[in-house]
Formats: sequence, structure tokens, C-alpha cells
Amino acid sequence: MSDGKFFTTTKKGEIADLKEELHSLDKAKKKDAVKKVIAAMTVGKDVSMLFPDVVNCTQTDNLEMKKLVYLYLINYAKTQPDIAIMAVNTFVKDSQDPNPLIRALAVRTMGCIRVDKITEYLCDPLQKCLKDDDPYVRKTSAICVAKLFDISPEIVEDRGFLDNLKDMLSDSNPMVVANAVAALAEIQDNSTKPVFQITSHTLYKLMAALNECTEWGQVFILDSLVKYEARDARDAESIVERVTPRLQHANCAVVLSSVKVILAQMDVITNTELIRTLCKKMAPPLVTLLSAEPEIQYVALRNINLIIQKWQNILTNDIKVFFCKYNDPVYVKTEKLEIMIKLASERNIDQVLLEFKEYATEVDVDFVRKAVRAIGRCAIALERSAEACINVLLELIQTKVNYVVQEAICVIKDIFRRYPNTYETIIATLCENLDTLDEPEAKAAMIWIIGEYAERIDNADELLETFLETFLDESTLVQLQLLTATVKLFLKRPTEGPQQMIQMVLNQATQETDNPDLRDRAYIYWRLLSTDPEAAKDVVLAEKPTISDDSNQLDADLLHELLQNIGTLASVYHKPPDAFVSRARVAVTRGEDLEEDPLGSGEEGEASDMADPTVAAAAPPAAETPAPAVAAVTDLMGDLMAPAAPSALAPVPAAAPAADPLGDLLGLDVSAAPAPVPMPVAAADPFALMDQSQPAAAQPKPILLDASKAQGLEIRGVLAREGGVVFWDLDFSNQSQSQLSGFQVQFNSNAFGFTPKPNGLADLVVPPGGSASAKLHMMPGGAPATALTNMLQVAIKNAQQPVWYFTPTIAVEQCFTEEGLLDRDAFLGMWKSLPDVNERTQMFPAANVPSVDTFTLKMRAHNVYFMAQRPVPGTNQIVTYWSSKLPQAVLLLEMTLQVGVPGVKCCIKSANPDYAPLAFMAVEKLLASATN
Amino acid sequence: MISQVVVLSLRGDTIISRNYRDDVPKNTAETFFRKVRFWGAETEGRSGESAPPVFNSDGVNYYHIKTAGLFFVAMAKTNAPPSLILELIQRVAAVIKDYCGTLSEDVIRKNFILVYELLDELIDFGYGQNTSTEYLKSYIFNEPLTVTTVAAPGKSASIFAPNTRSAAAATSKSVVEKPKKGVTRDEIFVDIVEKVSVTFNASGYLLTSAIDGSIKMKSYLSGNPDIRVALNEDLAVGSTENSPFAGDYGKGGGVSLLLDDCNFHSCARLKDFDADRTITLTPPDGEFVLMNYRTTHEFKPPFKIYTAVEEVAPYVAELVIKVRAEFPASKNGSNVVLKMPLPKATTRASCHIGPGQTGQTTEWKESTKEIQWSFKKISGGSDHALRVKLTLSEERVPNIKREMGPVSLSFTIAMYNVSRLVVRYLQILNKEKGYNPYRWVRYVTQSSSYISRI
Repeated sequence: MSDGKFFTTTKKGEIADLKEELHSLDKAKKKDAVKKVIAAMTVGKDVSMLFPDVVNCTQTDNLEMKKLVYLYLINYAKTQPDIAIMAVNTFVKDSQDPNPLIRALAVRTMGCIRVDKITEYLCDPLQKCLKDDDPYVRKTSAICVAKLFDISPEIVEDRGFLDNLKDMLSDSNPMVVANAVAALAEIQDNSTKPVFQITSHTLYKLMAALNECTEWGQVFILDSLVKYEARDARDAESIVERVTPRLQHANCAVVLSSVKVILAQMDVITNTELIRTLCKKMAPPLVTLLSAEPEIQYVALRNINLIIQKWQNILTNDIKVFFCKYNDPVYVKTEKLEIMIKLASERNIDQVLLEFKEYATEVDVDFVRKAVRAIGRCAIALERSAEACINVLLELIQTKVNYVVQEAICVIKDIFRRYPNTYETIIATLCENLDTLDEPEAKAAMIWIIGEYAERIDNADELLETFLETFLDESTLVQLQLLTATVKLFLKRPTEGPQQMIQMVLNQATQETDNPDLRDRAYIYWRLLSTDPEAAKDVVLAEKPTISDDSNQLDADLLHELLQNIGTLASVYHKPPDAFVSRARVAVTRGEDLEEDPLGSGEEGEASDMADPTVAAAAPPAAETPAPAVAAVTDLMGDLMAPAAPSALAPVPAAAPAADPLGDLLGLDVSAAPAPVPMPVAAADPFALMDQSQPAAAQPKPILLDASKAQGLEIRGVLAREGGVVFWDLDFSNQSQSQLSGFQVQFNSNAFGFTPKPNGLADLVVPPGGSASAKLHMMPGGAPATALTNMLQVAIKNAQQPVWYFTPTIAVEQCFTEEGLLDRDAFLGMWKSLPDVNERTQMFPAANVPSVDTFTLKMRAHNVYFMAQRPVPGTNQIVTYWSSKLPQAVLLLEMTLQVGVPGVKCCIKSANPDYAPLAFMAVEKLLASATN
Repeated sequence: MISQVVVLSLRGDTIISRNYRDDVPKNTAETFFRKVRFWGAETEGRSGESAPPVFNSDGVNYYHIKTAGLFFVAMAKTNAPPSLILELIQRVAAVIKDYCGTLSEDVIRKNFILVYELLDELIDFGYGQNTSTEYLKSYIFNEPLTVTTVAAPGKSASIFAPNTRSAAAATSKSVVEKPKKGVTRDEIFVDIVEKVSVTFNASGYLLTSAIDGSIKMKSYLSGNPDIRVALNEDLAVGSTENSPFAGDYGKGGGVSLLLDDCNFHSCARLKDFDADRTITLTPPDGEFVLMNYRTTHEFKPPFKIYTAVEEVAPYVAELVIKVRAEFPASKNGSNVVLKMPLPKATTRASCHIGPGQTGQTTEWKESTKEIQWSFKKISGGSDHALRVKLTLSEERVPNIKREMGPVSLSFTIAMYNVSRLVVRYLQILNKEKGYNPYRWVRYVTQSSSYISRI
């Protein structure tokens, strides 16, 4: 007979059968029934409907039976709080049972039932059991206080349980002391008030218990000692003296916690001789941890990694023990590599390199790569051994094993960065392997080397040329390096060949790729090269700062924090605890605070988490996690948009030195078409037929951003002018599930130098499924783009979504300013002063002006002002003169037309005639509206 | 601290699940299994095996060990120390084994009620309580149901020589099992297990060598009498003043057994250790490790391995591997398996075992490009040779040696230990005359990482 059979009852009517058996008078049968229920519970079946029947079984003297029933209760009390209360009497009775096991069991179980009503009844029994004669009951009660604090901190405070716990630190039983320490430490972690502070008095008691209690208890006590601040060096010395014997413990956790305490006190100890001795004493136990199971080894290695960053000499003589074993799991091997690199010195480098070389022939590709990297990192860290490292790398390259060669080239690039102009002799060897390179990183590294040493490599141009043939197929990393390397080559050797290459590369990078980084970098180079080649040299060939190997190196503050956390998760993750512990709690909060529970009611949280006021009062954990993501998006936004508008609200990242020039860059290629837009363009020309005189209120505005392309965000809008201000009249509708807010908007540089009003959309909130409107003011005064088109590249983002791009056209007729009104003399003077080269003419054959007066009004509404009119002799035509101003240019118009007859000739004179084409667009629309 | 402890089969079935705090989601077991199963699959294109023992997923920290074909997993939401938790779940597994005699999925399923009872006693609110099997006896009421047909017979027992097999089987009985038919058998087992790590370079020179040893005990002595264990008198710990046990003892020349470091179970009383290398203890019930030790000092590796490679003709290479057993002829190595990866260009490898060598098999695994040479038994002092003809897909393999190897050897040698650490005597104290329980002292040497580079 075995308990296994309980799993096999899956027949129908099972519940009814169980019910019956639970009420059986036969005790053995009853017990079997409870076992069956537990078995069903374990495999995930819902047996909660048996709750009353099982509770009924609590009245028993049989401990085995009692334990089973309590196990069930713990599991289901949450879902059946009303019936659970039925068990309370049994609990209370049990807590006074003459058998200490039953007393302890009652207290232990009650603490696990997180039901308010039960908790109320727990306090009195707990109070008694905390002072029980039996240490087993006391140690169980100590932990129960921590359980209660988790449910209701205020009860723990009000009932003075904390003082009980503190008294227990003086208990005669070490297990009770250890559990009291554990409970106090946990409560302290979750409380902002000082709860548990070790004084020299308690210190003495803890030290006494340390030698007697279980290994787990030793860890609790040692961990709490870390926070003790020694009064002086002597105090610290005496602590260390008592803790040092623990280093001999077989339990890894005890050893690591002891090391942690000793390291903390070493900051206080002044006796250098003692520190030296302590270092020597800690080394063998740390190394011995590597004889344990791989899981423990891993934890030990991660900790050793931290320790040697501060106390490097502890283990320098033991580097051999960190050599990888053939059968180590990958996670152990990787950690050992890391430590070998850190312990490598000029004394042991030969041995270490031999090992690395060996690892580089192993089967596991990933590990091989790490080994090759390790050689490079040693070279960077140890100047005098760099050559030895390079020789090993060259040997590895000779093996021609593809991934080894590529990895080696990547690290050699770093070595070149670290020791410029030292090891170029090996370049020839590297070049032999050019055709085997197929990984972007290796290619990019090789290209960097060629560019950097172009003047020493005779055929650098040929080498680069072979790469350039496939320029457009390469990954961005390679393209960027190719671009830079070609520029370097050209600057170092400004001859015909390189010149052609640079021309080709710049053309391809600016026109045939859609990667903005690449394009922008190409434009910058182009501009640099065409304006001032010397400046280009200063920029491109500038001396680079020396690099050092800081990978996996922690900064001093973090290291200090992690050393205080030796043995804990933080020491394994190498992250501060705050980074991954989400249950940040606040001190005791009162009931009234709960009313403002910011979390709302969770589904499964109701019974447990929500009953727990500390959780409610804590910062909502959900809000913590998305936060970095939002920040990242903001940064992205900054990167993308800052160039166009340095004054904008988006944080201007350091990576955008081109803030101002970008406007120019987009127009650098004067004859070229408008700069390519990487993102899909949403709307083509929504304003073409819009006119202010036909308000669009009745009909929906044209779509600027299509909901299907922007996760449910639709933007419609028209450009309008009112009170001397140009603005976008925008309608947002949100078809997504979440509220959208925190809108930010940016324009690329445009013909009129418009920038969006800072924070213009900051107040905009679009509820899910709803819509909202906003007026976005267009602020003139920004630097205009050189390529003058009526296109406006807009990027818009909000806190919930990525950046959206769309490119509406600017309705030019809305952009004429009030300042366009000139007096006649000024007009005449200007007209005469402008030479013929400043004149542009365009015919509008279809345009028909039925009445000059109405047309004048219409034109005036758009800030195009009528100046004069004269008949053309010998015809029915008249010539009209108009003045106007776009933000960047005063435009004088001459229109020749015949009233009621199609055909208008328009001539524009301006000091800035490049704006004439834009003005013609406006004129065409205004004429068209006059025709109707 | 620990929020939940789960025991999973390697297929991912939840066998045991005990929640200590209601702060982790319901599906943690599935999450864990999925994570471990597909570890590294997304990023490195390989899966399984390599999941580190501690990782975080969605704010829950998972700690696990793999033993006896089971995952023992703990979950925590706080900065709970992995050193502690991994040790603790290892201990949980050990206690279950103590109680049930063996550890397997079947055993746990059959004893699930007992396991729950144990889990409640071992861990309270996520904090480790008293985990000594001895102590637990007074608090645990369920009785273990031992699984009679223990896995494959000989599999667990095979590390010990045939003549002690009955003893090995005895160690798989439960510590709380009631004596059958009224026959009590008082006995105590002491196993000195040494795991040897050795790396030879291509010319047979010893690059690194280390022994990780432990003295394991399992006591079935009634009444838990004190015992004294005496080790080599010439034992010295720590070559320098590093070790607290260094003392002056054994420094006066003639030192022949040097340990780098050692540690002891908390039951060990060491007041005489410095003086005469004896340890006094009250052995707790169940299996425990009395002492761990470690040495990197010179010792005689039990096997020597020689290899020679020659490219005899285009597309053909010849490999010769020789193994010499350098331990006394009275001892035997068992489960000896030699493995060696061959160059990727190898299309075929035909193995020829030397004349007169029996009880050996060879295998060429084309998928992994590896040869395997297995011995049923190797007697001390014997020599063995294997000739392998390699057919290559390339006319010449540059650096053929680089692509081969290393040779790895795994073995078990019963009743032999390389460090020469011995239990001089095992004395049962304070017992009336005539009390003479069985005392099994067994030695075994096993390979950990036994490598010869090419």
C-alpha cells in the first residue's frame, strides 16, 4: 500500500464518495479520505467544496491527521473565509494543548491563513506561545510574528510583538534566537522605521547563539551582523575573531555570509598585518566552494568575481583552480573565464594564455568565442603582455577556423585602439583572411583597421573597394565603418582612386539607403569635405582616447553595495537589490490610508495582496517596470528629433552635435529631390483643395495619420490661420485600448522655418475609443530648410506609443503674413530695384477671375494685398499688382488677366526668388477658389 | 525568503508544490520549466542544459538544482541568498532520501504526504528550520513507504566493488524504517570518495591536478553513540599558515599527505584534530558529509594517456591512443570510458583494438565526430592500445591536432584512493563490551575532469 494510489481516484462521483468517507466513523478510512483530498489538491483539482467536511475532521487527537487537515485549510481558507472561521475554535484550543507539537502546529498554521477573521483570533494564542516553555513552540511563534506582519503590520505594532521578538534575542535556545533574528530582519526590510538595530549588547548574544544554532540560523545571524557598525577597530577585530571559525563550515551559505561579515569589518580594521592574515584565511574556503555542486560553484564564482574586484590579491596565487574543467557546465566555465581575466597578471599570463588557447579549440562555439575575447581583454589590461597575447591570437588565426578568425579580428581591433601604432606589422596576416569574414562585427573591425592604417597598407584602396562593391547589401554596422574608412582613406590619400570611391560611397549612403544614421553621417562627411577638408582631417583623423577593458567592471559604489550583499541574489546578478526586488514596502500604514488604494482591486489579489495594507501603500509595482521603457522612448525621440529643433522640449542628446547643420544637410544636395523619408508617408496632399472660406467643420478633416498604421491613433487636421498665427487644427481619435497622453511633436526643418509650439500638445489626452481636438501653433523663426518644398515632415509621439511619422503638405496660402502689406512707394521702389534674375513667371491657363473686387477680398483674406491695377493697352486685359510676405521673403506679384476669361499670367519678383514656386502654389489655389 | 518550493519531473510535471507565501503567481512551475527548457534558445541558438541555477523571470527569482532526475525548485520575490536557498533545497532532497531510502520520481509520488509533512517542518515561511534527519524524527509522523524495486540494480551500487554490494544496497534503506522481523542490524558506513581532476598536456606532462575528496557517513547505530574517526597521522592542512589547522603538526619533515583545505560537518568535534588527527562526533541519523577536503599537491594520476597522430597518406590519418593503469594490480577500474573528438573532416574512423585485449568496445559517432572506447574493467598495471584509422574528406587537414581532442577519460576505481587518506580506525565510544556493529569503510576514486590534450 502506498500513498501513490490516492492519485488514481479519478472516477465520477468521486467528490460524493469522498464526502461520505470524510464523515466515516472509521478513523483509518477517514484519514485515507483526507489523503485522497490532498492528492487531488496537489494535482490541481478543485476540492474546495469539501471544505466543511474537511474542517469537520479537525477535531482529532491524531497529529498526522491534524497536519493533513491543516495543509488543506491553508490552501483553501482564502476561498472560503466564512467557513474557515469554523476552524478557529480548534486552533485556539490546539494552541493550549499540552503537547508542544500541537501548540506549535496551531500557531504555525494560523499564521499561514491569510484571512482577516482568523488573524484576529491569532493574536492571543500567539502572545502566549511567544512565551511558551517549549523552545519548539517559541521558535515557531517567532516566525509567526513575521507572518503576521506580512498580513497586518499595525497589529504587530499595536500588540507589541516586536518587543517580544527583541526579547527573544536573549533566549536560551539558539534556534529561537536565529528565528527571531530572521523575523526581525524581514520586518526591518519592509519597514521604514528602525526596528532591528544591533547594539553591542545584542551583538554579544548573537555571537553566543552563532556557535550553537543550525547552519541556516548561522546564516540569518551572520547576515544581520553585516549591518552592525563596529565602534572601533578593536570592536571589529573581535567580531572577525569570532566569525573566522565559521569559514570552516561545509555549508556554502555559512562560508559566504562569514566572508561578507569579515569583509565589512575589514573596512574598519586598521591593522594591516591582520588584514593580510584575514585575506589569507579567506582564500582556501572560497576556493573549496568550487568543489561543491555546479550550482553552488556558480554562486561562489559570481561572488568571488566581486570580491577580487576589491581585494584582488586574495586569490592571485590560486589562479589555477579557476581553470575550466572539461565537464564544467557552460555557466560555470563562463564565470571562470571572467575570473581568470581578472586574476591574470604578468606573472601568470603565460599559463593563462595556454589555457585560453586550449579553450579556443573546444567544441562549444560560444565558449570558444569568449575565450578568444578573453585573450584580447588580457592584452588590453596588461600592457607588457600584449605582445604575447597577440602572438596567441595570430596562432589562432592560422587555424583558419572561421569563427575563431573573426572573433580574433574583432579583439585585435580593440588592441589597436589600446596601443595605437604598435602592432601594425600583423596587418598583413589579418588581410590574408579578408575573404573568410562573413560576420558584420568582424568585417566592421577589419574595415576599421584598414581605414585607420590606410597610409601603411599599400593596397588599402583595393581592399576597401572589394567591400564597397557590396555596400548596399551590408549591414549598417559595416556600412558605417566603410563610410568612415573610405573618408579616412581619402583624407590620407587624396588621389583620384579614393576620390571616386568617396563619391560613390557618399552617393550611395545618402541616396540609396534608408538608414537615417548612415545618411546623416554621410551628409556630415560630405559637408565637411566640401567646405573644409582640413577641418575634416581634424575631425575624422583626430587622436582617439585610449580605451581600457571596463567590461564587467563595476563602479565603486555599486561594488561596495554588492559586497554588502555577498551570498544574496544581488551578488549573483551583480545588480543592486532595488533593481529586481519589486516588493518595496513602506512602514506601517493605517487603515484610513487603505481607502486610497491606488491599485484598484486586483482579481486574485483580493484575498491576499489586497488584504495586505503594506502592498497597497507601496508604490504600485506595475508602475515601476514600464517606467524605463518610457524613458527609453523619450530618448529615442530626442535622438530623432532634436536636430530639427534644438529649442524643443525633447531632451537634446549628446549624440546630436549636428543639431543645427541638419537643416542644411537635408538640402546639401541642392538639385536633389527632398530628403528621403524613412517612414511610410501617411497622407499625400490633404490640403490641396482646402480653403479657409469653406470651413471644414461640417466635414471631417483630411487624414494625416492613418489609424491602421499607427496602432489605432488617427490624426486628421488642416492648417489654418487666425489672428496672425498659423496653426494646425487637429482632431485626434484613439481606437486603441489605452489612453494616450504625453504627446510631443517635432517638425523636420521646412521651407518656412516653422517649429511646433513647445509643449503645444502637452495637455492633450485622448481616452481609449474617444477623440480630442487640439490647435498646434506653428512658431515661425526657425532656420528654414534649403530645399524649399511645401512638404512638412512631422514626428509625433506619446507616452504610450512609438514615434509616428507623417508628411502633410503645408497650405502655403495660409502662410502669408500680415507684414506683407506695403505702401505703394515702397512697392514701386522694391519692384524697380529687383533685377530680372529675381523674377519668376508662371501661367495658369485654366484660372478665371470673374470679378477683381471679390478676388481682391479673397486675396486679402490670405494676406496678399492689392496694390494697383492698370489696363494693358490694346487689349481687354488688366495688369494687377500685389504685395505679400512669406516668413522668409517679401514677394511682389504681377498678375495679367482678363476678367471672365480663362488664362492668368503671374509674375513674382523677390529678393529671395526661391520662394516663388511656393507662392505660385498658393496663387493657384486662390485663383481656383476665385473661379468657383 | 522562499515563497514556494516545487518538485518537478524532468518532463515538467509538478509532483510537489508547497507555497509558503502567497506572493508568486500560480503558473511559476510552468514558467520555470519553459525557461529552463528553452534557455539560450532565443539568443544563442542552443537550448536546454545551460540555464544557470539562479535566474529572474517577471520579478520572480528561480533557484534550482537537478538531482535524481528531478528538479527541486525554490522561488522567491526578495533578495534571498542563493547560497542559502540552493543548499537548503539540496538538503530537502537529502532528507527525503534519508527518509525514503532512495530518491526518485516514483518515491516522491508514493510518499507525497510525507514529503509535505517534511517540507512543513524543514521550512517555515520560507526560512530554513532544523534540517537534521535525526532531529526531525520527533516531529514527523508519516512513515515512509519504500519503493522495493530500486531503479536498475547495480546502477547506484556499482561504484563499489561486488563484494560490498550488499552493503551498498543497505545504504539505500530508510533511516526511520522499522527493523524487519525484529532483526536489528547496527552498522555504520564510511565512504571516502575522491574526485580527480587532471589535465595532461600533449607531451604527457601534468598541467593541473586536484583531488576533491569527502568523507561521507551514514549511520544506523542504535542509540547514537559517540564515535571517533582517526585519519592519517601525517596529514597536514594548508602548506602555509593560511589554515587554522596548520599548527606545527606534521611540519617536522616526513609530511606525506598535504591538504590545501578542509571543512567539517557541524557535528564534528575537533579538539583533538590538531594533536592526533582524530575527529570525535555523535553521528546524526541519515547521510551526511563529515569532512570535505581538497588538495592540489602532487599525487600519482591513476591513468596515463598517450596519443600519436600521423597523416599517413592523403585523405588518411592514423591515431594511436594508449592507456596505462598506474595503480596496484589488485585494484580494478570500472566504467572506464575514453572519449575523443576527431577532426570535422573525418568521414569514417575504424578502430582496431590491440591483440589480446578483451572486454572492450569501440564506437564511432559520426554525428558528433567522436570516438568512444569503453572498458568493462581495467586492472591495475595493465596497458591498452587503440589504433584508429581516419578517413578524411580533405586531402590534408591543416593543424589536424588542433581539431582533435582533448581525450577525456571517465572511470571509477573501487577500494582505492589517490590521496592516500585513510581512516586508521573507527572507534565506537562509551559502549558496553560486546557491542560490535558493522563498520564499513570504503574507498573510491572517480574521475571528475580527466583530460589529456593533443
